Amino acid sequence: MAMFRRALVALGVAGVIAAVLRLRGSGGTPPQQGGWRELSGPDLE
Amino acid sequence: MGARAARQLVEAADVEEVLVCDDDAARRAAVVVATGDKATDGGSATDAAADAVLLAGPVGSHVSLAALHLAAGRPVVSTSDSITDVQALLNLDAEAQARQVAVVVGAAFSPGYSCVLARHAAARFDEVDEVHIARSGTGGPACARQHHASLTGHALDWRDGGWQRRPAGSGRELCWFPDPIGAEDCYRAELPDALLLHPVFAKVGRVTARLAATRRDRFSAHLPMLRKPHPEGLVGATRVEVRGRRNGASEVLVLGALDRPAVAAGAVAALATRWAVAGRLPVGAHGLGAITEPVPFLDELAAVGIKAAVFEGGS
Repeated sequence: MAMFRRALVALGVAGVIAAVLRLRGSGGTPPQQGGWRELSGPDLE
Repeated sequence: MGARAARQLVEAADVEEVLVCDDDAARRAAVVVATGDKATDGGSATDAAADAVLLAGPVGSHVSLAALHLAAGRPVVSTSDSITDVQALLNLDAEAQARQVAVVVGAAFSPGYSCVLARHAAARFDEVDEVHIARSGTGGPACARQHHASLTGHALDWRDGGWQRRPAGSGRELCWFPDPIGAEDCYRAELPDALLLHPVFAKVGRVTARLAATRRDRFSAHLPMLRKPHPEGLVGATRVEVRGRRNGASEVLVLGALDRPAVAAGAVAALATRWAVAGRLPVGAHGLGAITEPVPFLDELAAVGIKAAVFEGGS
C-alpha cells in the first residue's frame, strides 16, 4: 500500500512538473510567409 | 571537431604541416592516420613550435595553452564556447596587442561563423541596435556535454548598457532555422556570444544568445547526462538576427546557416587559423565578429560547402 501511495505521489509530482514546463514561456508565432534563400557569390556583397 | 579542423588544414595549399597534439595517444594516432600525409604526430607536447596554434580540446584546457603560445608570439585560435574560457581568453588582449598577434576566441560554428554573419549583416545598417543569436544542434561529444551543461547556471546578455544575468533554460522563444530544421524552441543558456559580439558593435543596445532545446533537455539539464552522447552530432544550424537603422528607418536582417556543427566548426577554425597566420585578422584577443573582411571569409567557407542563407519575406 505504501508503495502504491508513493507511486501515486511520484506520478502527481511528475504531472505538476510537466504542466509547469508545458505552460511556462510565451513561445512565439512562426513566420506566416517567406523562407530561406542561400547566399553565394554576388549575393554576399 | 579537432579532427575536422586538422583535415581542413591539411587540404589547404598554404599549409605545409599539421602537428596533431593530444594526451590520448590512440586518438592522436587515429587522427594522424585519417588526416593525410601532411599530418604528423606531435605527441602530447604543449609547446611545439608552429606558425599558429588551433585549440580544439575540452573546455577548460584552452586558457593556459593560449597563454603559453601567446608568450611565444604565436597566433592562437580557440574553439571553446565556455563563458569562463572566453572571458579569460579575451583578457589576453593587452598581451596580444603588445605582441602584435591575433588570439581568436570562439572560432567554431556558433559562436564563430555566427559572429562573421553578424558582422556581415551589420554592414547593411547605419547603426546596429540589437543582435540575437540562436543555435541548434551539437558537434562532437564534448560539444554535447557543453550543450547539456549550458542549460544550467546563468545566461549572459548585454542589455541597455550593462550585463544582465538570467537563469539558463528560461525565456523560451520560437526561432526559425534554415530548412529542414525549421522552427525550434530556444532558451537562454550559458553561451559566450554576447561577450564576443558586444565589443564589435559599440552602440548596440542588446546582444542575446539562445540555444534550441527540448523540454526533456531542460528537465534533465541539472542531472548527469542520461546516456553517452553521439560520436558526432547530426545536422545543426545557427541563426543571426540583426536589428538596426538604415536611412532613418528600422530594419531587420536574419541570416543563418545549416550544416553538421562539427564539420562547420572545424572549417571555420581552420580558416581562422590560416587567416591569423596570413595576418588577415586584427591583432588582439577577439571573436570572429572583429573580422574586417567578412565577405571573403564567407566566400572561402562557401567553397568548402558551408553556405550562408538569408530569411526573406517573413512577417
